[in-house]
Amino acid sequence: MIYLIYLIIFGFFLTALIGLFASWVDRKVTARVQYRVGPPVLQPLIDLVKLLGKETMVPKGASKFSFLAAPLLGLGSVILVSTILWFNCLNPQRTFIGDIIVVVYLLVLPSLSIIIGGFASANPLASIGSSREMKLVLSYELPFLLAILVPVIQGGFTLRLGEIITYQVQNGIILGSWSGFLAFLVILMCVQAKLALVPFDIPEAETEIVGGPLIEYSGTPLAVYKLMKNMLLFVLPFFIMILFMGGFRLSGAHWINGILKYLGLVALITVIRNTNPRVRIDQAMRFFWGPMTILAMMAVFLALKGL
Amino acid sequence: MSITLKALLKSPWVFHLSTGSCNNCDIEILDCLTPRFDVERFGMLLAGSIRHADVLLVTGSANRKCIPRIKQVYQQMPKPCVVVAIGECSLSRGMFIHSYNCPLPVDKIIPVDVYIPGCPPKPEAIIAGVVKLIEKLSAKPEKK
Amino acid sequence: MNRSDILKDIGERFKGEILEVFDKSPKRVYIEIKPQALVVIATYVFKNLGARFNIASGLDTHKHIEILYHFTFDEINFLISFRVKLLKNKLEIDSLAPIFEGANWIEREICEMLGVNFKGHPELKRLLLPDEWPQGVYPLRRDYKEWDDSSIRDRGL
Repeated sequence: MIYLIYLIIFGFFLTALIGLFASWVDRKVTARVQYRVGPPVLQPLIDLVKLLGKETMVPKGASKFSFLAAPLLGLGSVILVSTILWFNCLNPQRTFIGDIIVVVYLLVLPSLSIIIGGFASANPLASIGSSREMKLVLSYELPFLLAILVPVIQGGFTLRLGEIITYQVQNGIILGSWSGFLAFLVILMCVQAKLALVPFDIPEAETEIVGGPLIEYSGTPLAVYKLMKNMLLFVLPFFIMILFMGGFRLSGAHWINGILKYLGLVALITVIRNTNPRVRIDQAMRFFWGPMTILAMMAVFLALKGL
Repeated sequence: MSITLKALLKSPWVFHLSTGSCNNCDIEILDCLTPRFDVERFGMLLAGSIRHADVLLVTGSANRKCIPRIKQVYQQMPKPCVVVAIGECSLSRGMFIHSYNCPLPVDKIIPVDVYIPGCPPKPEAIIAGVVKLIEKLSAKPEKK
Repeated sequence: MNRSDILKDIGERFKGEILEVFDKSPKRVYIEIKPQALVVIATYVFKNLGARFNIASGLDTHKHIEILYHFTFDEINFLISFRVKLLKNKLEIDSLAPIFEGANWIEREICEMLGVNFKGHPELKRLLLPDEWPQGVYPLRRDYKEWDDSSIRDRGL
């Protein structure tokens, strides 16, 4: 369908642009908080262009196919999720049943691609980083799913993203209710872990300690990974916006509201990133299976009660 | 100059290799990354893995045991790349020139592009050296 | 035990083995002993007097090769160095590694740098020098000559 191809280009380029801009906002705010000048506006784009110009080296003993295909797997899934989300946001009537399940399944794939990439490089440090990433994924997926249940229940036990958006247009945003607020706190922490930002960046951003799963990547595959992470910085807050804050409506003056909501979420993620130390993997697992799961179950219980 | 080369000069990621130094130069390099001298405004980030890096900062006089390792690290860096030798020990071994354990200066082991003298060089000197390198590379029409 | 008590105790117990006592400052004393008495004196100082073995240092004077063993008494801020002089044609001494583990690596280093053989050491192999260093060339001796032809020793000016 031509409309779909149009939307993919719209979903890829626009997502990449907004994602790179959000990554610059993150770095600049971090720099300002640390009382220094940050990088210029085009810095994330310049990083990507530079990485495309370096040579790609495949380590000896690595499985060449999975080493080179893993970044593409992650990027492809992020593009698909972004397409579905934009499509649902702009046309809430034309969604299909179960698209929220498709989105949740596709959102596991970026983390999976980093795990595959780490294991495909024949490096023990990359294997340690990948195994930590696996443990992290196992721990945050449970409260993530429980927190997504709250808009599903409040929207009337629906499995369509479009119906959740129309429910919020009519009845006010889900964030305003008690159960919505608790679920929002839970999903914010899960998104922080999915984006691999401090305090949960143990597996990936261990550049100060070891290289993590990306230790053997150089050149174009690394550029694809960086692009995937930057696009996730747009896609995940957008997903939270659709579920809890009413999405991004282009009618009337609501688009300013949407931009402010998105920037507010990015600012919240950055503030959490700058004010916290990095936690160990066992502390992270205990955090997600302990307080976060209990909070999410309380939120689901309140939602079932109707609050 | 091609666009990827221009991008390389605007976003050099540094990797720091100490080949047996007294660590004074390493402390001064770390000083450059702190908020007071802030090199992130030039786009420089500290890369954890050599395969992510564009600039190799070498300090220390090269030990005999370290010479094959320096060569291996240089081979693992994706080209195009730049090597910067910081401090007297890596330029000419400084006061260790007659030492039994330091046979060669660093630029006989790997090709070096920028030399930053000093024992240790101040962070201002390190930043000035890197800026001079960027200016020299952007002025030259051909590059390795 | 204070400083003078320790010195009197060692002086009386090992009167035959001590050759010279050099009282440098309130914190340091150099005691020269015969090489045969090293193990006995070191065991006594370590076990009975409660000193800590700090490090050993070796140096090549033109007549002998000297090894100094430094023992510290941390509570009273006092350091005794036992000096042992070895002749260059008979570079052997008993090892202190079976008594305390702290002497293990420093004796390996003195052996590879100065060529002293430590009898009774569990494993006297190379510690710091690279594998391609030739055997029998001791870098910290006064008569060490450059053996490597590929090394560059001028600044190129």
